[in-house]
Amino acid sequence: MSLAAQGHGANEFDAGEVIIEHVSNSSPEHPIFELPTLWGIDFSVTKHVLVLWIVSALVFTVITWYVRKYLKQDRPVPTGFMNALEAIVEYIRDSIVLPNVGPKYLLSWTPLILTFFFFIVTANAFGLVPLFDVLGAINRLILRVGPEETQFINTLLHGGATATGNYNVTAGLALITFTAIIIAGSKAHGFIQHWKNLVPPGFAWPLYIMLIPIEILGMLVKPFALTMRLAANMTGGHIAILAILSFVFIFTGLFHSALAGIGIGIVVSVPLAVGVSALEIIVILVQAYVFTMLSAVFIGMAINVHH
Amino acid sequence: MTDEENFLASSFRYLQKMIRQSGPAASASYTMIGAIILLGGLGYLIDRWYNTEPWFLLGGLLLGIIVGLYEIAKVVWKNPR
Repeated sequence: MSLAAQGHGANEFDAGEVIIEHVSNSSPEHPIFELPTLWGIDFSVTKHVLVLWIVSALVFTVITWYVRKYLKQDRPVPTGFMNALEAIVEYIRDSIVLPNVGPKYLLSWTPLILTFFFFIVTANAFGLVPLFDVLGAINRLILRVGPEETQFINTLLHGGATATGNYNVTAGLALITFTAIIIAGSKAHGFIQHWKNLVPPGFAWPLYIMLIPIEILGMLVKPFALTMRLAANMTGGHIAILAILSFVFIFTGLFHSALAGIGIGIVVSVPLAVGVSALEIIVILVQAYVFTMLSAVFIGMAINVHH
Repeated sequence: MTDEENFLASSFRYLQKMIRQSGPAASASYTMIGAIILLGGLGYLIDRWYNTEPWFLLGGLLLGIIVGLYEIAKVVWKNPR
C-alpha cells in the first residue's frame, strides 16, 4: 500500500485521493481481463471481481479437499485443520442456527449459513493480506518494471483487495438472505401463509392499513442493514489505517524534509497502524459472525412465527 | 489449576449464552439504524430530484423512525421480561 502511495506523493500528496484509490474497486475503464458486453452489461473483470473469484476458489477447494480426505480416513478422528474446521462448523450449527431456526429445519439452513460464514471470513481476511502489493513490490524492485508499463501485475495494483468492502458484493449476499427468508417461510407455512404471517393477527382492520406498509418496509430494510453494515465496517478499518499511514507523507510535505515524515512514521503512524490492524483481525471475525447470526435470526423469524 | 480452568470454561459458556440471547436485539437495533438511513436517504434523493427540500427528507426520516421502532417493539413484545 505505502509503495503506491509514495509514487503518488512524489510531487503533491493528496491523502483523500490516495485513500479512495486504495479502498474502492479498480476503474471499469481499465479492467484486469477484457470480456465482451452482453445485453448491455460489461462483463470485464475488475479487481473486486477477481478477488471474489480467488476467494470462492480458495474456500471451495480447501474445504472440499480437507473434508474428502477426512471422509476417506480409516479412523474418523479429525486432526489439524480439519479439527478446527469441525469445531467452527459445530459451533455455528449449535450456537447460531439451532437456537434461531429450531431443530426441525436445522439441517436445511445450516449449509447456507456455513457458506456465508466461510466465504465472508475468507473475503474479509483476504483484504488484510498484502498479496497484490508484495507482487507489485517484487515487480518494481527486483524485476525493474516501471509503473507506466502495461503489464499484468501493474493492472492488479489499482483498487482495494477487500471485496466485502464493496456495497455491490454485500448487496448480493444480502439478496441471498432476503430470498432465503421468503423460501424458509414458504417451506414452513406455505407461500400464502408466509405473507399472512408478516402481520400479527387479531387487530381491528383500520390498524392493518398502517401495519402492512410498515411490515413491508421492515422486510426491505433488513437486507439493506446487512449490506451497509458489512461493507461499511470492512471499508472503515482500511480507511483508518491508510489515514494514519498518510501522516508520513503529509508531514514530509509540510516540513519539506523526509526526516520529519520518517520520524512521525516511527513514533506515531506505524505503531498506530499495527494497533488498528490487530483490531481489524477482530473486526473480520465479528463481522462475519454478525452477518451469519443475523441471517439465521431472520430465517428463524420467518419459520418460528410467534404471536 | 482445575479451578482456573473451570472458571475460564464457565465464563466462556456464559459469554456464549449472552451472545446467543442478544441475537434478536442486535437484529432489531441494526434494522432500526438501517430503516432511518434507507428511508431518510431515499427522501433526500427525492428532494434533490424534484427540488422539494426538505419535505421528503423529513417524511423519510419520520417513516424510518416509525419502522425502526416498530421492529424494536416487536422484539420487546415477543420477549416480555
